[in-house]
Amino acid sequence: MTANVVRAPRTGFLSGARRSPLAKNRAAIAGLVILLPIILATVAPALLTGIQPNAQDLSASLQFPSGEHLLGTNKLGRDVWARLVYGAQPTLLGAFVVVIISGLIGIPLGLFAGYYGGRVEAVIMRVLDALLAFPALLLAILVVATFGRGLGTVVVALGVIYVPAMARLIRSVTLVQRSLAYVDAGRALGFSDGRILFRHILPNLVAAVVVQSTIDLAYAILDIAALSFLGLGQQPPDPDWGSMLSDGRAYLLQNAWPAISAGFAIMLAVVSFNLVGDGLRSQLDPRERER
Amino acid sequence: MVAYTLRRLIALVPVLLFVSFVTFGLVRLAPGDPVLIVLGGKKVDPATAEVLRQQFGLIGDPFSQYVAWLGRALQGDLGESYRLRQDVVSLISERLPLTLQLIGLSMLIAVAVAIPLGVIQAHRRNSVIDYAGSLLALIGLSSPVYFTAIIGVLVFAVGLGWLPAFGSGDDPLSRIHHLILPAVALALGTIALTSRMTRSAMLEALSSDYIEAARAKGLPEQTILVKHALRNALIPVVTVTSLQVGFLLVGSVLVETTLGLGGLGSLITDAIQNRDYPVIQATVLLLTVAFSLLNLATDLFYGVIDPRIRYR
Repeated sequence: MTANVVRAPRTGFLSGARRSPLAKNRAAIAGLVILLPIILATVAPALLTGIQPNAQDLSASLQFPSGEHLLGTNKLGRDVWARLVYGAQPTLLGAFVVVIISGLIGIPLGLFAGYYGGRVEAVIMRVLDALLAFPALLLAILVVATFGRGLGTVVVALGVIYVPAMARLIRSVTLVQRSLAYVDAGRALGFSDGRILFRHILPNLVAAVVVQSTIDLAYAILDIAALSFLGLGQQPPDPDWGSMLSDGRAYLLQNAWPAISAGFAIMLAVVSFNLVGDGLRSQLDPRERER
Repeated sequence: MVAYTLRRLIALVPVLLFVSFVTFGLVRLAPGDPVLIVLGGKKVDPATAEVLRQQFGLIGDPFSQYVAWLGRALQGDLGESYRLRQDVVSLISERLPLTLQLIGLSMLIAVAVAIPLGVIQAHRRNSVIDYAGSLLALIGLSSPVYFTAIIGVLVFAVGLGWLPAFGSGDDPLSRIHHLILPAVALALGTIALTSRMTRSAMLEALSSDYIEAARAKGLPEQTILVKHALRNALIPVVTVTSLQVGFLLVGSVLVETTLGLGGLGSLITDAIQNRDYPVIQATVLLLTVAFSLLNLATDLFYGVIDPRIRYR
């Protein structure tokens, strides 16, 4: 037998022979590594740049990358790197708030629907299904166009629009939990429904909530960026990835750096949450783990 | 099947009523007097304002306005644009073909790429092609369509000069030429989800007993893959793919705005900029109805591809 027939099992990023949890975890770790600087920019942007994102210098318009301006400057001579760093906050924090709103409304609704069944379930799910009839981003566009553009409106609108997905998931996992012995035991001990739901069932749903939230974060970043690309989100002059991309489009042929940087920032943020979400799912969901 | 289709269509009625109510209600909640928007903020004498109110159906209490609007909408009258002073239906029908062509071409590209890709990925699991496909899927899922479109312009229009950067072309051939770039950009997300789904459904199908049996019979690999495995793997794939049409609808709004295509998408974004509420209302309503009907069509299509599913 020649040596080249025996091959060492392949390992490494994305190789994931049989998609084992370990390999998935590597992808998740890669996601976390990408995420780190993005989170740093969200929490403490001043650590990553000393330049004010709104400082104008019209004499230094549309410059290419240099030692002074890492990613060049935009039309108004603002530093693109500084705007990129400060632009993380509206997108990332916005996405977190979207997911929190959808959880605060969606989790109780899903719990009630799954636990009580019957008419409660019918009413809740009927309303949520009707909300799902709208293509999500289109409804967001309509709501934001109505109540006034701005990051606040965008975040609240998306938060509500994300409720059905969260509630449906919680309902389906609650249905499984409801039939388990510990719920009967709780009832036999005379616990109130609220106590059973929030103290006993809810802790068992944490895994599902975490996975769904991570994936939702990726979608929320995309949706926030899309709305601000359309001019409905963060308003000028404050930096924001979506609007940077939209502004940069106008002078793409002179200097593509502002548009490209913003686009890559959005993409990397979404990639990282997708990777982490996939990794968490394969760790937390036993069915996935077998694959 | 017919009875089932009818029942589903009837069940759709309250949903669409809700949708129309929300669409109408939201637009009425918008701050600012519509008449002022029509006139671009100029002062008007009360008589003119009254005529305008009459013209745009703004007379009476909100609920009766809604009923009147719905009645007219059902007769195919979706009102008049504040800004362009043109019938909304004619505006939409001018713009609709381009958007449909874009979505259609995009879907075609997505299916033509994603399903073979997913089959090959499953067949040659853990090969270079498999990893490359997974990476493509990750990027496709994560890159915003408008960014993909801009990269496409920089590479294929500015850099290589193969494709036009902006505009939509006039004759059919130049139309296709102009639409390739936006359609591919739009297709990338669908390719990602569909190839992932095809891959995992194929893997499941390939590990089942009937494939073992087919192999034991000595059937050619191609027959096993396409006739036996793929046919069974197709159901989840069809679901995912057709649900994508909704995302393509929304994505087309973004791509059209990015690349300056004069379709339905740029109609919506222009309407938002100008607070042209009748146009926003009508296009959102139309797209949502289309979205709901597509979802229904998906459900019905299961019966065609999977003979085990029988609707009662």
